[in-house]
Amino acid sequence: MEDEVFTISEYIDLVNKGLEEFSVKIIGEVGKVDVGPSGHVYFSLRDEKDQSVINCIIWAGRYKMYGMKLEEGVKIIAYGCPSIYKASGKLSFLAETIQPAGEGELKKKYEELKVRLEREGIFAESEKRPIPNYVQRVGVITSKQGAVWSDFLSNVGKHGFKIKLIDSRVEGAEAILDLLSAIKMFKKQDIEVLVIMRGGGSFESLQAFNNELLVREVAGFPVPVIAAIGHDKDAPLISLAADREVSTPSIATVALNESWDRAALLIEKQERKIMSEYGQNLEDTINIINASAEVVKEYSDSVMHAYETIRHGLIVSMQNFKNQLINIGKNISISRQSIFSGFRNLALKTGQQLNNSEAVVFSNNPERHLKLGYSIAKLNDKIVKDIDNVSIGDVLNLIVSDGEIISEVKNINKINQNK
Amino acid sequence: MPDDTKNLNTNLKRLSEITKWFDNQEEVDVEEGLKKVKEAVGLIKISKSRLKEIENEFEEIKKEIELDNDKQTSP
Repeated sequence: MEDEVFTISEYIDLVNKGLEEFSVKIIGEVGKVDVGPSGHVYFSLRDEKDQSVINCIIWAGRYKMYGMKLEEGVKIIAYGCPSIYKASGKLSFLAETIQPAGEGELKKKYEELKVRLEREGIFAESEKRPIPNYVQRVGVITSKQGAVWSDFLSNVGKHGFKIKLIDSRVEGAEAILDLLSAIKMFKKQDIEVLVIMRGGGSFESLQAFNNELLVREVAGFPVPVIAAIGHDKDAPLISLAADREVSTPSIATVALNESWDRAALLIEKQERKIMSEYGQNLEDTINIINASAEVVKEYSDSVMHAYETIRHGLIVSMQNFKNQLINIGKNISISRQSIFSGFRNLALKTGQQLNNSEAVVFSNNPERHLKLGYSIAKLNDKIVKDIDNVSIGDVLNLIVSDGEIISEVKNINKINQNK
Repeated sequence: MPDDTKNLNTNLKRLSEITKWFDNQEEVDVEEGLKKVKEAVGLIKISKSRLKEIENEFEEIKKEIELDNDKQTSP
């Protein structure tokens, strides 16, 4: 490195880098103050004891951020490191933060700012916004290292919160930068409530929370802000500007939980009410059903009775019909038998009649009598039936089976029939 | 023979008349009696044949009726 040749600018950069290791807080009384056209402030700090002086610079942006006016004779604490200003080659203390030194001074600044902001209505109760019910998306600004964060986490309820933390320094004037940056980041994010937290501390250690820029950011934040900053007497101005001021992280969680807890209680109450009403309705319904069932049963019984009557009637009718059919069958059978037997009798009678006729005809057949030896005597073509019809000498015609015999009456004898 | 000899009823009536004629005959009229006998014999022959036919026809009808009856009463 000894052989290396640097340009002046390179060398100043190298030295300035080395000088960053001398970052410290220094305390002194403000000497001459000179504000440049760009807003950067050039001032000197003088040691109270031996009047040692160091030239200081604070850039315009930072100066505005800390909200205090550098005036000759004011005692301040500045945090920063030495640095060579390239344009002049002078060594100056580059202040990153400035704050009044001594509680009296701080208090005075605090009271002044408080009054001014109060007049503007920044702390007005009418401007406070309620914490929305059932919030879920929560932004938290605090130091991840401290007990505050773990206290918050252990107390926040299990209500489906989506909590996003932006880690920030919370101690001293240096915290202002982190806090402002965190607030700006959360402005762009979709959250429903912002919680800014810090544990308790001395008035001096809480100075960042009295920063005007921060107070204005909190007052104008698009969603309600809860400030949980521990303090004794004088509340940090951020707490006064916040929509809800609480003293501890656990109380901050109460603010987040309360609507959920209320809802849970309400649900439980409604649940009990519903169960009670449901039970009553159920009982009423059961009673109605039982009554209806009784009516239905009675109706059903009457229907069943009517059905049984009809069924019985139907069975009787069917049986009667069946009997009628059987009777008809029997009658048909009887009629058939009668017809059959009647016809047989008729046929038999007819046959007998024919036989009788045949017998009569047979017995009356003259040829039969003649063949048996009988003959018919005729006189003058008249049949001779007794002796009175003839006289001796008459010529008779005797008809026999195969011809006629002419005979003369020789004698007439009367047969005594009384013998 | 007239056509109505096929009618059994008519024949029976005629035969009845002939038998009555024989029963009422006081004088023997051999010729007429013979005629009646011949007519009666013919009528009896035809009537017996017709009666047989009718009986056969009846038996056929009876068989048919009994067959129908068996069909109706069987399961």
